[in-house]
Amino acid sequence: MGLMTILKKMKQKEREVRLLMLGLDNAGKTTILKKFNGEDVSTISPTLGFNIKTLEHRGFKLNIWDVGGQKSLRSYWRNYFESTDGLVWVVDSADRLRLDDCKQELRTLLLEERLAGATLLVFTNKQDLPGALSKEAIREALALDEIKTHHWCVIGCSAITGENLLAGVDWLVDDIAARIFTKD
Amino acid sequence: MFGYIWQYVYTFYLRYWLKWLIRQVTGTCELQRICSGYKAGALRTAKAEYSLQSSKNKVLRGALEAKKSNLEQCVDQIMKEKNVKLQKDPLFKGNLQICLLQITGYRSLYVSVEDLRKEPFSSENPEHETMLLKLWDLLMPSVKLESRVTKQWGDIGFQGDDPKTDFRGMGLLGLINLVFFSENYTKEARQALSHANHPKLGYSYAIVGINLTEMAYSLLKSGALKPHFYNTVQGPPELRHFHQLYCFLAYEFDKFWVAEEPESIMHFNQYREKFHDSVKAHLQEPDVDLTLAVSSH
Repeated sequence: MGLMTILKKMKQKEREVRLLMLGLDNAGKTTILKKFNGEDVSTISPTLGFNIKTLEHRGFKLNIWDVGGQKSLRSYWRNYFESTDGLVWVVDSADRLRLDDCKQELRTLLLEERLAGATLLVFTNKQDLPGALSKEAIREALALDEIKTHHWCVIGCSAITGENLLAGVDWLVDDIAARIFTKD
Repeated sequence: MFGYIWQYVYTFYLRYWLKWLIRQVTGTCELQRICSGYKAGALRTAKAEYSLQSSKNKVLRGALEAKKSNLEQCVDQIMKEKNVKLQKDPLFKGNLQICLLQITGYRSLYVSVEDLRKEPFSSENPEHETMLLKLWDLLMPSVKLESRVTKQWGDIGFQGDDPKTDFRGMGLLGLINLVFFSENYTKEARQALSHANHPKLGYSYAIVGINLTEMAYSLLKSGALKPHFYNTVQGPPELRHFHQLYCFLAYEFDKFWVAEEPESIMHFNQYREKFHDSVKAHLQEPDVDLTLAVSSH
């Protein structure tokens, strides 16, 4: 985070936070976004391109970008990196076959210079499914403990039941706020 | 505020007395005037629907909930309640019956569509699997699928190696729509697929299709498709009519996308909205008919 960016953020009366939500296709990114916003999650179809939502949460204005995860769209992810304060990495905890793929994609993202200052929240989604791996198993599979470059946290959640979505976003916002907003 | 009060006063008091007055003068009830005054189609059926909905008479309101098999009886009851004589207005009975078939049919169509949507695609169900493989054969007749789980699915626009996760909230309905279009408009579907596979202006054929199923579904749910079905089906609309509407959307969206030349697939939602708005604008026209103009084969 450059000095200019910090100054710019301090000037803003409204405390704006930009969150970027990424992950493989079918991880549940759009469902998380809609559930968090209190919308119906039963009629979602695959995301082409991106969705953006602006929500008020605890006095913050959250701009959440939800970008499609299919392979052919991943090369476009970089178009959304600029001024990202928090990265939400969503994992389908029941998709054991693609955990390696998931680990690689996350690793590549964390090398991105434009994401260098961003806080990372890993949502291990679909904890409501019987075949889901635990948060700890995914922490290990994705080798999260090796991450030294970013503040990070892993939280098990379910976009369908809404479990832990609030806890995750709260942690993320707190961490970002502690870094970029000075107390008035 | 004044508008609300006026609307309230009008619906609850004035409308009733106004209808009574016209009835005394013309000797016909509102439903009769609607059935004879408007040509068959969206205008007549929508007005009849409104009239029945806002009626104070239980028999009239009840007709909207009637089963198909009871409809004739319902019409007889309405004629009795409203003292309409068959000899004086011989066309009324048939006309009102068609209106009621359309109105109640729209509701049962929604129920059938919702049932299909709620049925998740399951790899364990041989019927579902057959349908999925049929989609491949219809769209890619000269290419053999190497295995059930393969990257080849990407060639017809699914996201990954296994299409099953792409149906999501649209369930079986999404697959049925895709197959229906490919089966009944094979040439058009293959042409759309070739546009979708364009290196620069391309889009993901299958998942755009699933997004269009969502569009058709939400239009149906909100009631926005009523004018289309009231104009084009002289009776209860059925599932195949819904699939036909999907074909219209799939064909027209492809044309629209090619004409608009979007910068990349990342702008999909913006163009989807634009297309959605133009469909909704069409649905505001009283003579709307969203039938695919090419002949099915």
